[in-house]
Amino acid sequence: MAIYAPNSILGWGVDLRQEDRPGVPQELTPKPIGNPPYAHPEPQHNGRPTALDVQRPVTPTYGTVVPMRGLSGLIRTAAYKVPSYLPRRWMMLMMADRIDVIEHNIVPLATLLGGAAVAVTGIVFAMRSRR
Amino acid sequence: MKALTYRGPSTMKVAEKPDPRIEHPNDVVLRVTRTAICGSDLHLYHGLVPDTRVGTTFGHEFTGVVEEVGPGVQSLVRGDRVLVPFNISCGTCFFCSRGLTSCCDNSNPANDMVAGVFGYSHTTGGYDGGQAELVRVPYADVGPMKIPADMHEEDVLFLTDILPTGYQAAEMGDIKEGETVVVFGAGPVGLMTAKSAWLQGAGRVIVVDELDYRLDLARSWANAETINFTEHGKHGVVQYLKDITDGRRGPDVAIDAVGCEASGSFLQKALGLSMLQAGAATALMWAIQSVRRGGNVVAIGVYGPPWNLVPLGEAMNKGLTIRAAQCNVKRYLPHLLEHIRAGRIDPKGIISHRLALEDGPDAYRIFAAKRDNCTKCVLVPKAA
Repeated sequence: MAIYAPNSILGWGVDLRQEDRPGVPQELTPKPIGNPPYAHPEPQHNGRPTALDVQRPVTPTYGTVVPMRGLSGLIRTAAYKVPSYLPRRWMMLMMADRIDVIEHNIVPLATLLGGAAVAVTGIVFAMRSRR
Repeated sequence: MKALTYRGPSTMKVAEKPDPRIEHPNDVVLRVTRTAICGSDLHLYHGLVPDTRVGTTFGHEFTGVVEEVGPGVQSLVRGDRVLVPFNISCGTCFFCSRGLTSCCDNSNPANDMVAGVFGYSHTTGGYDGGQAELVRVPYADVGPMKIPADMHEEDVLFLTDILPTGYQAAEMGDIKEGETVVVFGAGPVGLMTAKSAWLQGAGRVIVVDELDYRLDLARSWANAETINFTEHGKHGVVQYLKDITDGRRGPDVAIDAVGCEASGSFLQKALGLSMLQAGAATALMWAIQSVRRGGNVVAIGVYGPPWNLVPLGEAMNKGLTIRAAQCNVKRYLPHLLEHIRAGRIDPKGIISHRLALEDGPDAYRIFAAKRDNCTKCVLVPKAA
């Protein structure tokens, strides 16, 4: 276990003073950050939020990807009606995640295999009927 | 476009997805030039973050070239090279205007815990991430920063998350000259934290992990002392840290740079796996137990809702100050860019793997299994 001498390290202590640290103080005197060309952002009109806490207003911008669907979607919709401070919401969302995986991996596979089985049975039946 | 998509725990797939479009006047669409896999993406990959939907594209560390510009955007034009903070922030709300961009009130309709984040489940707003050829970036006048013409994407890629996150972790530790800082976790954020602790005047920086190759990097890249906690028996690292510090008091500052997938405690792991808590909080537990009385503990590793098992009584009786946050990336960018320019930090020095976007599923497997001495994976889309 080597012990390093701080003064051998390039840049040691350059931010030692609190006033040289960009995150101090934690809260700044209020002023816009970045270069926002608005006082308050206008609302998004394209698409619909794909995750929305019913206790909150729709935010001016939101994600629109991967909307809710199937049984997992129904559970997620119910979960977002539960306040976020209740563990029930998070347990429901985790359960929906597992169902989502089944819906989108195992169900399509089972459907594909089922379809293939029906097709093979149909072909065999047709061939036998010809004889 | 091609995008890496989540198919279920430990399964990713490259798929064709519709190109993102301008959905709000202040959006831009970027053609991604570099994108990294973050340690916190592994929490998603392992199915630990609520509302992680099949088909989602991860990735909150990326650079890109502006491809399409919304009618309200004033600071960027097509062709600009930019890096993008992982937080999606409006710049004007109660929180943003106070510098707390990770708490923005105007980007996450899913809850009031955290701002929107790129590619980090629908719990952070349902935005796709940058592990794709194209990505939609809201509030483009606020978050993105133009990459200086003389700098390469990989010089600045980690300004999007892990470098400011590590720096803020050290900063929240309120390090005073000569103090001893212990960082739990020698992953990318832990390494950046160790490096930042030196810049902030630490007298001794100790990094704790279980992987020797990462501890080697902590010594060579971050000049830290290292401890492999597996060499000190069950929870023995807590006593060992006390033994090697002045007055056997323990470190002055202890930082958890691991989060909810920590090793080292069977009980923590079992409670996490049985969903009785949100993952294993071993690193935070050790931070509280090892730090000196009156010391500072920082939680910068990612935890999800609803709760975790930590020794709160010990924290209270020892008079600790505990601070925790998602990083407010934007306010650190100019300052840390200067450190990179001056050679005080070389973030790209921790990149261990560069792969094509199409090899993303392999990259996740390698990173998750910590195979092939993997520390940090960067994905390069074809058009980059």
